[in-house]
Amino acid sequence: MALAKPSQGAREEILGRVRQALKSPAPKRPPVPTGPLFAPVENLLERFQREAATNYMEVKLASDGAGVTAALREVLASLTEGEIFVQDTPQLRQLAADTADGRPVRWSSEGAPAESSRATVSLCEGLVALTGSVLVSSGGCGGRGISVVAPCHIVVTHAGQLFPDLESAVARAREIAFDNSYVGLITGCSRTSDIEKKLIIGAHGPQRLVVILQTN
Amino acid sequence: MPQTITLFIPCFVDQFVPEVAADMVTVLRRLGYELRYPEEQTCCGQPAFNAGFWDEARPLAERFVRVFRLAETIVCPSGSCTTMVRCFYPELLSSSPLRGEVAALGKRVFEFSEFLVDVAKVSDVGATFPHKVAYHDSCHLLRELNIRQQPRELLRHVKGLELVELNRSDECCGFGGMFAVKFPEISGAMGDVKAGHVEASGADFVAACDPSCLLHMEGILRRKGARVRTIHLASILASPAAATTDRAGQAGTAQPAMAAPGDEGGR
Amino acid sequence: MTATREQEFHRQARDKAENLAHRKTVRWAIDTYDAAVARGKSRFADFEAARQRCYEIKWEAVNHLDRYLEEFEANVLKRGGHVYWAADSEQARNYVLELAAARGVKRIVKAKSMVTEEIYLNPALEKQGIEVRETDLGEYIVQLRHEPPYHIVTPVMHLSRAQVIELFREKIPDDVKGDSHEELTAAARRALRRAFFSADMGISGANFLIADTGMIAITTNEGNGRLCTSVPRIHVVFAGIEKVIPRLQDLATFWPMLATTGTGQHLTAYSTLIGGPRMASENDGPEEFHVILLDNGRSKLLADTEQREVLHCIRCGACLNACPVYRNIGGHTYNTVYPGPIGSVLTPHLRGLAEFQHLSYASSLCGNCNTVCPVKIDLSHHLLQNRRNAVEQVRPPWRLRLGMRLWRWSMMDAGRFRLAGRVGKALLRAFGGAAALKPWTEYRDLPPVPEKSFRQMWRQNGAR
Repeated sequence: MALAKPSQGAREEILGRVRQALKSPAPKRPPVPTGPLFAPVENLLERFQREAATNYMEVKLASDGAGVTAALREVLASLTEGEIFVQDTPQLRQLAADTADGRPVRWSSEGAPAESSRATVSLCEGLVALTGSVLVSSGGCGGRGISVVAPCHIVVTHAGQLFPDLESAVARAREIAFDNSYVGLITGCSRTSDIEKKLIIGAHGPQRLVVILQTN
Repeated sequence: MPQTITLFIPCFVDQFVPEVAADMVTVLRRLGYELRYPEEQTCCGQPAFNAGFWDEARPLAERFVRVFRLAETIVCPSGSCTTMVRCFYPELLSSSPLRGEVAALGKRVFEFSEFLVDVAKVSDVGATFPHKVAYHDSCHLLRELNIRQQPRELLRHVKGLELVELNRSDECCGFGGMFAVKFPEISGAMGDVKAGHVEASGADFVAACDPSCLLHMEGILRRKGARVRTIHLASILASPAAATTDRAGQAGTAQPAMAAPGDEGGR
Repeated sequence: MTATREQEFHRQARDKAENLAHRKTVRWAIDTYDAAVARGKSRFADFEAARQRCYEIKWEAVNHLDRYLEEFEANVLKRGGHVYWAADSEQARNYVLELAAARGVKRIVKAKSMVTEEIYLNPALEKQGIEVRETDLGEYIVQLRHEPPYHIVTPVMHLSRAQVIELFREKIPDDVKGDSHEELTAAARRALRRAFFSADMGISGANFLIADTGMIAITTNEGNGRLCTSVPRIHVVFAGIEKVIPRLQDLATFWPMLATTGTGQHLTAYSTLIGGPRMASENDGPEEFHVILLDNGRSKLLADTEQREVLHCIRCGACLNACPVYRNIGGHTYNTVYPGPIGSVLTPHLRGLAEFQHLSYASSLCGNCNTVCPVKIDLSHHLLQNRRNAVEQVRPPWRLRLGMRLWRWSMMDAGRFRLAGRVGKALLRAFGGAAALKPWTEYRDLPPVPEKSFRQMWRQNGAR
């Protein structure tokens, strides 16, 4: 259903004013040589874990597939009864089959997560060691809601997905930018300190962000 | 190394706190400098400039350039006035026939503590001031002239002086020129906050390089009935022969602005 | 006679400045912020280099604004989104009002957007019978209190927990299960989840518009921005035209910088990029995506080459926290959408110098704002330029002009200067307690009036 008026509005008027304004040059500060903004990250896994701890993100290391399964089962067991929402991929289909233990599962191929989901499970586009962040996308990780709707978001990943810093992680985001309508960097749990500057973990987004990381 | 110093004594220092200038003179003489004082100097134009009246400030700035044209080394006991000449004259006089002289002038004018440490290369001027002193960083001095270490360096070498830490020493005292009387409620609150930090520091004196900050802080502290007194860096460095000793008991409104160093009754 | 803006400003400033409880609350918030920022800055190998880089990216973007806006628009359209160029507040409001009417929108959830405050969007939507719910916790609280946000990043810096308890017990009593900070946050979460999942439209602002990918960047900690842009079927973005930056890669610099100067964090919890509505292959997300680019005076500021860099602002709020004036008078006293140093500089350009020049004078020009600005805007110098512009363009009262001229005349000659000094001192001695001196004496004692000037001391004995 199209809008009654053409959608562009005062485009030519505004651009005209902008071009006219830019005919006069503004002063510029002299350039100053700048190196990298952050010191290089040495041990990616160690740094990721250290940063994650400061973000209230739980990182569970697993040395093999069995370890991943065990970790996921443990997290799911700690949740109250109810549906979970899982990204529909062969790996997660298998994992859910091994760990859901009768809990109802809604798949991303069915649509958006239900508001009452107890947890969501997804893959990710990458991990950032410098900041303890998780890179996700709508196309690659089961949609938009999967990383924000439920009180617990579980990410299944492996050490090969570690990026050292923001330059490399954002470069990856640039690569996938036109294949996804949402790309995001998630750095820890939802939080607020609006009331008296007291930090509360878990505002509107997940209160728990669990990263299950297979090291081999 | 210059042998002759030309004195730039700001208008309100000349009229309202001349002892600060006298104390600066005492120190410079002690160090062996010849002094010149161009009596034609009046005002650098800062009040008009800050108020936005650049057309009124401009002729004063041009006059200043002419008055100090032949001075090789100019020293001033005020950070804000030094800032006006070094940092703002280029913009104010950008269309003036004198604009070619302004950059060079800026390099020849120095704030007092800057001159002592960076030009004269002196940190110990032979002063004695056995009191606890907190140092306040005046805004223009700190942020436009980047002078932070020099006053502290000088204070550390004063015999008997204990330099105490002042919480948020770089927070504005609230004077700000016309701001002090145009927005007295805000200026007063900022001064009250500063006075609170000063009192909490446990100092006997709060020192600064800007007489304008000191006038404002002194007014606030006296109104609060505080024990702490304000003092200009020059008066500490001139001690024990500071002009302040002459002012104790001088007739005038309220109490003396600056207590005599060594005046036990002031503690 | 109703008070002018300036008179009202004085009244509110006095009220807040003398309120010691308010001073204590704000001090506490700022001390917390300062400590966090100090930690945040230490994470950078070279924080000053980061500021320079941010400056350079913004300079490039703003000084080639037409090129980058066109590139941004082309990419948004390519991705199935709509772009609307709004010359002013009214056009921006009308676009979304018509869109809402055409799509049968009854409920809207909003993530924080200063631009939507600037155009007075909420009242216009409500007038059309649409329920608008602010979802950022602080914005939600001030919305319930029917007051504007206190600060652009921390909207309820001025409130205590006791005040929030009272508010929630009145407005959302069924959601409140306790008095602690955790319970209050949980109560808001419950109330707002109902809003998220029943809304027809989500409205957000944008911290950055990314030209090379046609994406918008939003940063939040709470996740409300994520929910506003994931759950409702329509997503509308409001952004000033100056928000565009050239490349996605630039965010590797801006994301940590904004997080550090905004809240002292390394990164905010959610650094989000949205490029259009859901794609055909995706399982959820809005079906429609609209970006409203707002001019509303920005192109005029762009033409002011002296102050063009004011458009570099990334709305981090650092200058507010750094400002000793703001710390004493608080955010509401400014009575503008943008308070603090950036607000004082910017508002005359957006809304008129005559009415808002007083904000440029309500500063001691301490320059602390300049030192904390992540994009190196020379805020205090722009305040000086606003003052000069005010004198030149908005004629000051004749008394002031005459006074300045007289002052200059007496300063132009050493003899007149000495005479003026003698006269001034005599008057002070005689009328020290006079009402005319009240601006000084209300809060401060007068200094003693010296007998001699330095000039006289010099003449008499070389000032020995």
